[in-house]
Amino acid sequence: MTRAKKAPTLGVLAMGMTLATALPSVVQADDDILAKADFGYGEYLSGECVTCHQQNGSNQGLPSITGLDAESFAQIMLAYRNKELDNNVMQNVASRLDDEQIASLAVYFASLPPEE
Amino acid sequence: MSQFSRRQFTGLLAGAAGALAMPSLAFGAVPRVVVVGGGAGGATAARYIAKDSKGAINVTLVEASKQYYTCFFSNLYLGGFRDYGSIGHGYDNLSNNHGVNVVHDWAASVDGSRKVLKLASGAELPYDRLVLSPGIDLNYESVPGYSAEAQTRMPHAWKSGTQVKVLRDQVMNMKQGGTFVMVAPPNPYRCPPGPYERVSMIAHTFSQVNPTAKIIILDPKEKFSKQGLFMAGWEKHYPGMIEWIDPATHGGILNVNAETMEIETDIDTFKADAACVIPGQRAGSIAMAAGVNDGSWCPIMPATMASKADPNIYVLGDASVAASMPKSGFSANSQAKVAANAIRGELTGSRVYEPRFANTCWSLIATNDGVKVGANYKAGAEKIDVVDKFVSQGGESDAVRKETYEESIGWYNGITADMFS
Repeated sequence: MTRAKKAPTLGVLAMGMTLATALPSVVQADDDILAKADFGYGEYLSGECVTCHQQNGSNQGLPSITGLDAESFAQIMLAYRNKELDNNVMQNVASRLDDEQIASLAVYFASLPPEE
Repeated sequence: MSQFSRRQFTGLLAGAAGALAMPSLAFGAVPRVVVVGGGAGGATAARYIAKDSKGAINVTLVEASKQYYTCFFSNLYLGGFRDYGSIGHGYDNLSNNHGVNVVHDWAASVDGSRKVLKLASGAELPYDRLVLSPGIDLNYESVPGYSAEAQTRMPHAWKSGTQVKVLRDQVMNMKQGGTFVMVAPPNPYRCPPGPYERVSMIAHTFSQVNPTAKIIILDPKEKFSKQGLFMAGWEKHYPGMIEWIDPATHGGILNVNAETMEIETDIDTFKADAACVIPGQRAGSIAMAAGVNDGSWCPIMPATMASKADPNIYVLGDASVAASMPKSGFSANSQAKVAANAIRGELTGSRVYEPRFANTCWSLIATNDGVKVGANYKAGAEKIDVVDKFVSQGGESDAVRKETYEESIGWYNGITADMFS
């Protein structure tokens, strides 16, 4: 796979969302985590996400998760998995995602158009 | 990951399903999936099978209503937080965006040996796989004296739609200082926190238009979902208004009388000025007609949601025995994606991934006071097992409760887009 575009997403997140307030510095995405991505698997796994976060990027009550830089997406999910970010729904979702699954989701959602 | 690795799971299912799929594939015909019920299970299943198969599967959705009113968030309509129109959704996008054939008719019977669904109009729909997501029917007889006729004066409002409007009108028009009585349902039933969110929302409305009103809950259960959170919320927001009476105290509900508006229990007879009676429930009647039920509900294979009685029939949502998952719209939506993945694999040979289930139930207690309970699940050998769960805590800050409510609005917009867009 190709590395997703580098974008100032954490800044965007901090502005547009509540979830990305001050990501703890101890959480570092494994440099190679995205190498484990499987796009088709990410598309399947995304079914769990789009029950709440809209696939078209529309943001109505919850953060938009489409079109994000894949590394940032992965970093945020790792932070939820490590319980470094609050929100028990997201911690519950992340708790059973392994690195391959997080990477697959990150690459899949990075491929979708961002919120308009 | 759960008990299977992803690729092991793909191999197992592909092997098992290959033989079943062959007849359609061998003759080059486009395989047919017929889905009955356009709610959180059925609409999601139809949408995902059509969207992801990209024309390789012919999908027909049978739903009697042209406009579907969600049960979830109908309580917020009762509380004045939503208007009725905002919980209504149509099916045009499923046709226009994904090529689903939407048939507005009643499913009447199933001939499993011929693999044909018969409609009330007399038409027949042949299928390779049938998905039944009919929701619930009501066991009126579970509450002595209650009936389809009585529901006009004592609405259940447990299937959304016009019954919820009837209930809202009765709440708004109840005499000042009157008594509202809810008869809560016995287990198992659709939406475990639903009756108690409903009481919260009716109390919210009363606090604005009828502040001396009383609410009595006559419950056949000894405890209920998120009980501590609800009861603390009632004490905080509606002190003295709500009384919950457990079965050890009322001794059993002996009769309801819609003419006199009296509810008789073992210890007392309660005179209601308005009432909501939610009886016991069972799988929608088409599931019974298809013969895939065991008693009131339909057992399923946890890994796929296929019926244990007929491998060509899948049962989703409230009608299924999907314990440990609760009967909720979120659960049905989650189950639909598992079934869609399995059905596409069987019919077209697409990759089949390990099943993943999740649920969260949000409830609103008062303005900006939301609570939630949820879990994720995996397919066990006999049932769907909880992996990890969570619940809102007592004493959470106002900010957390407000965020929980806002999250629920996001979820409503998300799940309805996932069903209808």
